[in-house]
Amino acid sequence: MNQTVTINISGIVFHIDVDAYEELKKYLNKIKSYFKNSEESEEIMADIEARIAELFSEKITSDNQVIQSKDVEEVITIMGKPEQYIDEDETKEDEPKRESFSSDQKTYSSEKKLFRDPDDRMIGGVAAGLAAYLGVEALWLRLFFVVALFVGFGFLLYIILWIVMSEAKTASDKLHMKGEPVNIDNIGKTFKDEADKMSENFKKHGQQYGKKAESAIESFFNFIGQILNGVFKVLGKVFGVVFLLIGTFFLVGFLGMLFGSETIFSITSDGVFSIASNEFFNLIFISDDQFHIAIIGVAITIGLPVIMLIYAGANLLFKVKTHAGVSIGLFVLWVIGIFMCAMVGIRMATELTYNERDTEIGVVKEVVTDTEDDFYIAMTSNDIPGNGILEDKYFSISLDEDSIYFSDIQLRIYESKTDSFEIEIEKDVQGFSRKDVTTKLNQMNYDYYLNNDSILLGNYISTLRHNKIRGQEVNVKLYLPVGKSIYLDRSLRHIINNVANVTDTWDPDMLGKRWVMLEDGLTCLDCDEIEGITTAQLDLIRAYELPVVELNKK
Amino acid sequence: MKIENTKAQMRKGVLEYCILSILKSGEAYPSEIIEKLKAGKLIVVEGTLYPLLTRLKNAGLLSYRWEESKSGPPRKYYKLTKIGEEFLKELETTWNDLVKAVKITSK
Repeated sequence: MNQTVTINISGIVFHIDVDAYEELKKYLNKIKSYFKNSEESEEIMADIEARIAELFSEKITSDNQVIQSKDVEEVITIMGKPEQYIDEDETKEDEPKRESFSSDQKTYSSEKKLFRDPDDRMIGGVAAGLAAYLGVEALWLRLFFVVALFVGFGFLLYIILWIVMSEAKTASDKLHMKGEPVNIDNIGKTFKDEADKMSENFKKHGQQYGKKAESAIESFFNFIGQILNGVFKVLGKVFGVVFLLIGTFFLVGFLGMLFGSETIFSITSDGVFSIASNEFFNLIFISDDQFHIAIIGVAITIGLPVIMLIYAGANLLFKVKTHAGVSIGLFVLWVIGIFMCAMVGIRMATELTYNERDTEIGVVKEVVTDTEDDFYIAMTSNDIPGNGILEDKYFSISLDEDSIYFSDIQLRIYESKTDSFEIEIEKDVQGFSRKDVTTKLNQMNYDYYLNNDSILLGNYISTLRHNKIRGQEVNVKLYLPVGKSIYLDRSLRHIINNVANVTDTWDPDMLGKRWVMLEDGLTCLDCDEIEGITTAQLDLIRAYELPVVELNKK
Repeated sequence: MKIENTKAQMRKGVLEYCILSILKSGEAYPSEIIEKLKAGKLIVVEGTLYPLLTRLKNAGLLSYRWEESKSGPPRKYYKLTKIGEEFLKELETTWNDLVKAVKITSK
């Protein structure tokens, strides 16, 4: 007895002889390629398949459950081969159609097309369709989309694909989608998959009643689908225009950023932020090569999606023919771009594995001996030498011929654990080894002027150019014993950092005032309005005020 | 010039007219239409009909509704639209003119 396969035509399951199956498949493909060029081809195919299913149903009797070759031949005789069709346009398109018809037969077996897979979908069948096209498990593509969703472009990408890819509706579409060579085994497999799914559905919904209900729902969704289809066609065009505009905008901006002016960002209202690109990158990357790799990597990783966006826009508007090879090539290129970025990133990360905390040689401790008067803290307001390449109120970098100057200085104030008033000046830098950090710390200069009753902090750090920008910063830490008072000068406004105090006064508002360290923390001595203080605390403050006032009188 | 070609051309010319005429008396599904066309020896194979129906429908001359079938997939029942009816009327006039023309010229 011949082997049989189970197939699903227009939602009805048949058992069919393998030879008969091959004949039927050939026949369907012929018709399909005959109508290939007409807009209605999908609908015509569905109608023809439905009629074939009907004819087959008539052949099935209780004695004969399997469709034989002769049944297929009969059906073909009834339906007729494409050559026998009377086509209204025949006279005009006779010749070219015949030609493409014969060549189609050859190409059909290997030609793969991108469709959304309605049978194996989670959302729109995009991942399943892509998976079938690329010949991988759908799971991987779904994973990719989930990851991409978190990276940020996943949602947009999915929607674009959903719009661009059409759904595999007919049996021949599905074969095209999977693109397996047309031989008996493969076809059998494809259709068997479908049949299994069908029978599952039947079991789920229960025979007659279920089928009717399903059809009612189905026709409702068909109706909705038709409306949506129309809406999507319009939306598609709108999206197309939007994609084109956004894509072009980004592309111009991006190219401008890479090759245009010397300044990368100048979104400045009052000089908030600006970078002179070349100089800046030379100070970050280890070598020119690394710099170039990074630039190309970034160009590819950011540029390609932008170009794809423009492409998708053009596709929606003008129905450009998609070449799968191009998309795959672009994707590979994009992965290479990411790889390049990762390479530079990893190399950079190793540059920054060590910092001062691993060496502890960058810390200088000073002890203040005069503990009676207000201790005065201020910062110099010298001009920072060199040309500014990054200018910001809180953080600036400038350059001259052999040095780099930074302004990354921070002031913190804590309660001293001992009775002595100490100031720690901590220099910090990052490097690839302990030794590297040590060398860099030694070549890092920071000036301050300490007197008995005051400290004047320098407003910049300097280091040699070849040390590059490696997170150089200075932390000034004041350890204030209980009972000691200080005056914070207004010049500290850019370096004072999160100083805790009993009134939770905001850093900049702490300036130009006198503060005393009490058991509870820093307390303002001469603020006009003190909120959130108990009377007991106020008494304590007055108690400390008295000797200070007396000293001033002297 | 082959006689077969000429015959096919003539049949093709009246095919649409015949389909619309069949639907004039009420709705029908493709198999019924085919039976009548076959009886009239207008078409030999059913495959010819489906693209024609689809095109007529897309031209707005026909509309259809789905109906469940006991033997096989749901069927499309086609019927004439308003435009279809007017279209058919014009074709009828033209047909009558043609018949007259043939009668006169072949006397």
